[in-house]
Amino acid sequence: METQQRVPVTILTGFLGSGKTTLLNRILSEEHGKRIAVIENEYGEVGIDQALVIDAEEEIFEMSNGCICCTVRGDLIRVLGNLMKRRDKFDYVLVETTGLADPGPVAQTFFMDDEIGSEFALDGIVTLVDAAHINQQLGRSDESTEQIAFADVLVLNKTDLVNGEGLDGLESRLRDMNRMAKIVRSEKANVPVETVLNLGAFNLDQALERRPTFLEPEYPFEWTGVYSLEPGRYELSLAEGPDPSMSLVVVTDQGKEDEALRQSAEWCVRRYAEPAENLNPGETIPAGQHVNLLLEASGRKSFMLEIESHAQLGLYTQHTAEEFDIKLIREENKQEIPFEVERTWVAQHEHDDEVGSIAIERDGDVDNEKLNKWLGKLLSERGVDIFRMKGFISIAGESRRFVFQGVHMLFDGQPDRPWGDTPRRNQLIFIGRNLDEEDMRKGFDECLV
Amino acid sequence: MSNQSKKGILRRGWTSSVDDYAISGGWSLGGEVLMVADASGGIFAFEGKSGDVLWSQQKVHEGSGLATSIHPSGTKFATAGKDGKVLVWDVSKGNVMQTLDAGSGWVENVVWSPDGQWLAASCSRQVRVFNEDGQEIWQSDDHPSTVSTIAWSGSTELATACYGRVSFFEAASGKLSQKLEWQGSLVSMVLSPDGDIVACGSQDNTVHFWRRSSGKDSMMSGYAGKPSALAFSANGILLATGGGQDVTVWSFQGDGPEGTEPGFLEFHEQPITTLTFACRGMNLASGSRDGEVAVWSLKSGKQGKGIGVAVALDAVSQLYWRPDDRALAALDAQGCITVWRT
Repeated sequence: METQQRVPVTILTGFLGSGKTTLLNRILSEEHGKRIAVIENEYGEVGIDQALVIDAEEEIFEMSNGCICCTVRGDLIRVLGNLMKRRDKFDYVLVETTGLADPGPVAQTFFMDDEIGSEFALDGIVTLVDAAHINQQLGRSDESTEQIAFADVLVLNKTDLVNGEGLDGLESRLRDMNRMAKIVRSEKANVPVETVLNLGAFNLDQALERRPTFLEPEYPFEWTGVYSLEPGRYELSLAEGPDPSMSLVVVTDQGKEDEALRQSAEWCVRRYAEPAENLNPGETIPAGQHVNLLLEASGRKSFMLEIESHAQLGLYTQHTAEEFDIKLIREENKQEIPFEVERTWVAQHEHDDEVGSIAIERDGDVDNEKLNKWLGKLLSERGVDIFRMKGFISIAGESRRFVFQGVHMLFDGQPDRPWGDTPRRNQLIFIGRNLDEEDMRKGFDECLV
Repeated sequence: MSNQSKKGILRRGWTSSVDDYAISGGWSLGGEVLMVADASGGIFAFEGKSGDVLWSQQKVHEGSGLATSIHPSGTKFATAGKDGKVLVWDVSKGNVMQTLDAGSGWVENVVWSPDGQWLAASCSRQVRVFNEDGQEIWQSDDHPSTVSTIAWSGSTELATACYGRVSFFEAASGKLSQKLEWQGSLVSMVLSPDGDIVACGSQDNTVHFWRRSSGKDSMMSGYAGKPSALAFSANGILLATGGGQDVTVWSFQGDGPEGTEPGFLEFHEQPITTLTFACRGMNLASGSRDGEVAVWSLKSGKQGKGIGVAVALDAVSQLYWRPDDRALAALDAQGCITVWRT
């Protein structure tokens, strides 16, 4: 018997009034020539003839073992189990959940139930967000938080009801909670259909291809400048800025290409993790060390840099050069040396919500055994609080990269394409509640070879 | 399975087809007719020996047919569908004798009582019982969740299973006579012929069973998948269970099956979809997702031995032994009907 193509399923979540039904009707009314079945958990006035609409009351089935990842949606098993008993199978299934639905069991149904998993493939979770009300909703209910945390696409809807600044703030709040999701703005759920269907978000082969930069990691520094310097003494001059001190790491022999910058950035992250040495104005900045420039005194302050032979110097500074009007001046002729290359980094900042994303990006290989141990422990202890995870790993001794994804404690991974000449590295993202970022980073770093 | 080169006891009979996924059916009129309902709402009456279509009707249920039951007399056939209706058919004439209103959703189960006096049907969270005249005698209160399956523990008592519970109702009054609780989604149910043992397959890949007389219950775990196929031997000693590609057989002889090792019948390479014991004796038929069909002799106990194999066109949805056990019918996902002589 030939293996049949599995029917993709998209889950639409979002609070009542966020525009789920509008989006659903929009998808159904497009000319796509596809046979779509819709499973609805709440009355939603879907009125399109070409789709089969099935109303099903939400039924959450917990198991006697108490394991939350075994919790599935009985109504979906029943309805989907029945939909597959047709010779003219559907091309697509859309599930519209209630506003208060927990997306976990919905997603888990496709992994926990063998019969459903063999016929249907979860394609993606799309969460509609009412831009005007989400801030209050997030404060009041776990469900809306989880719907955001689980999403592959966040449709920020009703944007006409909120001003631009408000929207930017909202988007940044959502981004903090879920850095894996694509955020699209809309007024009346009028988003292009292809932004919400056929995402392949749960397909290991596709998930990472679609958004190769889904991980823009956070760094403890915001700015890097690369300077080409002749031997001699230099002054690093700073004006008064927003903070009474600023951290810095100086890298000698800094390349100007993006790849070289990224590699040094990784190295600097580790330097930044070490305690900083305080330096007063006038003191000399050692290369390759985490230092903290004390800037309490008023007016411009200077720190010294000694260059013994021609060097390309990289400054990795906690704040941008602009904020402190950073200048590099050659001492002997007081000539200002401009940077040849600069780049900014996404800075770490405080996360207000309990739910957030943790991105880990590291070069090099990991020890398979250590990784399994760490991940196994993490999932058994924190699986309840980890909603989604995704990424790829470079396992020592393996010629191919290993891609993985998971929902709560359910974990799915497989070898992917060969590394070839590309630099071996690791990218992991976790979305969850009250995750200890430092602890997780440390745990992963200990797995590195 | 030994002796795979020969087909064993399954010899070619006839094949035919219906219009869509063959959902359910059964032998009627003492094996003269095979009734089949399909997913497009069609029903077919096949002549038992030749496979010729005696009569058929299309779209008798709007949406799809979901369940069927043959009346113990063999003359009537009940079909249930997504339209909330149960239809009672005269098998020989091919006409609808009764149209019963079973609720406003999908009617997922319909079963005649062993004495043919009652017809039970479940729709969403309720179950209804009708008498032979087609009058509704009672309907249950809402179960805690959608009723997944129903069965008669005898002619006077109906059992229902849903998430977390098996309930028993007196056939004539609808009075709730017993409630067995277990936190798990019960997806299948079978009762021992004496009605004492209730076995349920659960979504968490276990089989849970209760002895009603003693109130003792047990759980059998270790299944690779959810045990959606269950069958009790006619003597009440062996319980055959699916839940993976092996048939797992538990023996209730002596103090078992607690603390005993089950028998494993190994042949299928895909999960078991259906199991059925012959009407008499200890032959068991099994069907799997890849369309394989096997017959096992369990005469000497739970270990069993394979005595016949054959293949249907697609995933086997149901297997039916003819009342004289001289033929076995397979319904499959392509709508193909295959009958072997045994």
